[in-house]
Amino acid sequence: MSTATLDRRATDAPGKPARARRRAPHRVEARGAWILLAPYAALFLVAAAIPIGYAFYISLQKAPTLVNPASGFGGFDSFITTVTDYRFVDTFVNIFTVMAVWLPLMIVGIVGLALLVHASPGRFGGAMRFVYYIPGALGGIANFVLWVYLLNPAQSPIAFLWRGMELDNLKEVVTTSNLPGILTAMLFFQGVGTWIVIVNGGLNGIPDEIFEAAALDGANAWQLAWRVKLPLIRPWIGYAALMNLAYGFQLFLEPYLLRQISAGSVDSEWAPTQLGYAFAFTNRNFPAAAAMSIILLVITLAIGVIIVFRSGLFGDDRERSK
Amino acid sequence: MSTAVEARTIVGSKRWTVGRIARVAVMLAVALLFLVPIVGFIAMAFRSQENVAAGSDGFLGLGGLSWDNAVYSWSQIVGFGPGDGGLFPRWIANSLTVSIIGGVLALVAALPAGYAMALLRFRGRKVWLFATLLAMVMPNTVLVIPLFLEVNAIGAIGQLWPVAVIMGFFPFGVYLSYIHFMTTMPPELVEAARIDGLGEIAIFFQVGLPISKQAVALVAFFSFVANWTNFFLPLALLTSSQDNKTVSIGIQELIGASPLFNATVAAGLDVKLYMPQLALATFISMLPLLIVFIGAQRFLIRGQTVGAVKG
Repeated sequence: MSTATLDRRATDAPGKPARARRRAPHRVEARGAWILLAPYAALFLVAAAIPIGYAFYISLQKAPTLVNPASGFGGFDSFITTVTDYRFVDTFVNIFTVMAVWLPLMIVGIVGLALLVHASPGRFGGAMRFVYYIPGALGGIANFVLWVYLLNPAQSPIAFLWRGMELDNLKEVVTTSNLPGILTAMLFFQGVGTWIVIVNGGLNGIPDEIFEAAALDGANAWQLAWRVKLPLIRPWIGYAALMNLAYGFQLFLEPYLLRQISAGSVDSEWAPTQLGYAFAFTNRNFPAAAAMSIILLVITLAIGVIIVFRSGLFGDDRERSK
Repeated sequence: MSTAVEARTIVGSKRWTVGRIARVAVMLAVALLFLVPIVGFIAMAFRSQENVAAGSDGFLGLGGLSWDNAVYSWSQIVGFGPGDGGLFPRWIANSLTVSIIGGVLALVAALPAGYAMALLRFRGRKVWLFATLLAMVMPNTVLVIPLFLEVNAIGAIGQLWPVAVIMGFFPFGVYLSYIHFMTTMPPELVEAARIDGLGEIAIFFQVGLPISKQAVALVAFFSFVANWTNFFLPLALLTSSQDNKTVSIGIQELIGASPLFNATVAAGLDVKLYMPQLALATFISMLPLLIVFIGAQRFLIRGQTVGAVKG
């Protein structure tokens, strides 16, 4: 888009006494835009705005009890119930414990492998990138069943690992204390490939002349990666780190299903989302469930705002249309 | 010319230097780490429980593969359910239903919205763009409990249509369409169509849509995959109705009925779901993804830089 159109957009705001000939088509244009936007706007309302508003409303209600089944305005009671729940702090500690191991490993893995792929032009690099991508394509539940196969010492191809740690059956492998390690492995296996493709896309977007210039200056492959490529893909690394951080707060499938196969040796409310789920489906305390989801929503929204404004990847229209 | 050649010889050297050997070795080692479990898992789908329990069949169980094993496992999977079973094919059909309807809704909503945000001037354009980006980068499970409360309030828990409608909300698709129109359709084209006397809606349908095959393919592909693998949303909305489950939460039920993890439940069943059966069910549930992936491949390669922004 040219700067001229942008300037006109800025100055030609509706309602301003612009020339009459201009104004009529402008209004037509805006009406057209709203008609084209209508289906999306409707879905946005139904699947995001209304549920969020409604959850906020529910979270301000009193939880009905057996003694007093009537609900009503309860102020911030349900937030207090949620935050003071004995599991609340633990679920966040659990998440942070996993992220402390998983995030650094993930970032190093993504950046390292993306740089390796980028340093391997031709068939080999492309083939490797595809292989790294395959586990990510498996998706949630399939990846999980695959890990059930890997974790069970009875038939796993890595059973020697479990036996080496004196873990003889699935129940001994899948325990709360082993969860950070297991989740790190699962999430890395599932997630790293997609991000390699993304960061590799960022690397491919850098003009070749830069690498050629560096090579002319006598940079070897290692210096090229460390001194030239790495600084250039910093926005992508930040983006990956923040997206994965936000992802960490919404972990559900893996701990939920690990609990199911562990015959009780994993805590049932291990992650914040699981606690919200338990409020809704075990305790039938909808206000507390709503309060929990509002808390998680605020956290991930904050991370989202940072991503959108700070990562430098979703800049102004002008940058984007390059 | 000579610069390019020189640069290439330094970056991707033909000589087997220590650095090059190390790079290739590391990449192959990681590839093996990724491939071995997957090969072993697919092999598992074609093995028999007797051999799995006995630990025979050799490396990754590749020695014990047979079609008969898969046929037997399939009979166990199909046999699961009340009466004569048949739940698993039903779950696959449910997944197809919600994924396709959700994908079509996503297309119908995303393309015109992306077009409007990229090429038309109206109040609130920036706000819509921001809201879309925000919704796109947020993990989608955060909204599941609020969505459950909403669907519960209208008494539609256990029905497929709310799941399909919610899946139709696909901000990443809107963003893809937005980028598509931003990069492929110059504003002058819209201007010219206006001068030719076309209305705003007509311009979208007659000028914008015909050049959007690439965007249609990408939005359809990404939304289908997201819908098919969605777990938490169907879990919250459909668990109460066994017939209306999607395959992702259906497999969870199969796991729960396996004698490996729940001997009590499994003892009451006619079918036996051990690891080969679970692996086969998972493998079959992945086939639709494989098919759409192959179908969309040429669009994916072309649209790689655009598609690359979402994890």
